[in-house]
Amino acid sequence: MANGKIKADTLEHSTAGSLDTQYVVNGSAKAWMSLNGADTIAIRNSLNISSVTDSGTGDYLHSFTNNFDAADYNQQNNGDASDGVNCGASITQTYSSSSSRSRYYNASYTVFDAVLASVANNGDLA
Amino acid sequence: MQTPEFQGTHLFDRLCWAKENLEGHQSDYRVVYEDSVDECAKILVPDPNWMACALQGGILPPVEVYWELAKDEAKPDFVKHTRGHLLHNTKPIEAMTEEQAIEYLIMKDCPASVWRTYNKGNKQKMVICRKDQLPATREWRNAWKISDDLSINAKAA
Repeated sequence: MANGKIKADTLEHSTAGSLDTQYVVNGSAKAWMSLNGADTIAIRNSLNISSVTDSGTGDYLHSFTNNFDAADYNQQNNGDASDGVNCGASITQTYSSSSSRSRYYNASYTVFDAVLASVANNGDLA
Repeated sequence: MQTPEFQGTHLFDRLCWAKENLEGHQSDYRVVYEDSVDECAKILVPDPNWMACALQGGILPPVEVYWELAKDEAKPDFVKHTRGHLLHNTKPIEAMTEEQAIEYLIMKDCPASVWRTYNKGNKQKMVICRKDQLPATREWRNAWKISDDLSINAKAA
């Protein structure tokens, strides 16, 4: 890449100890997305996402630009309802290496359109 | 801005470069499709950062690479991808127009059963529209279907 590389296996702090850089590389989110899930659906910001599919009320499928190497990555979701009080629990329905589909539920376990839906994926890329 | 020579560079590194150097592009296009008669219409929304990569050129792999990976994943003995190098080593595609990018995205992210036969059968299964052709509110969202009476300016769903 144009700006060059720093290669290091360990980061060391003067007093707080050291950390293998593999923890940083392996532990960083490899894909994330912040989505306006109400009204006209739109992706607010993202990394490694090619599209989101609005599959119905509170039901969104996001596709990756760089696939994961298998369908065993980790996913965290969060959703906020329009009243600003209900925090959405979400259930990831289906995984594949190229996409993941999630549904957002409110505290009454009813599917709802999240005003702000966010997703982060950790795992190994293909 | 000139795209660096990216063939052989990990695709994720290219996406990080693009996020740092390219302005996201919010497309007005939407793809409405139906992949099951029992379900409502689905609406594909392009990602702004992905669209910026498509318009820039020299970043994204050819769509056929994704088809190859999908073939591998569909095999019953699939465990993990062993041909991920196709994403990184295949020559990246040149800059696309927004319309070409939408066609690419359809072939990448919509089910092949939809886009290969989108206008066959009794009813249109897929339509590209502008976002202002979709309902302004999400009332009865789970009942949305592709309109039977399609035209350039009419509502698409």
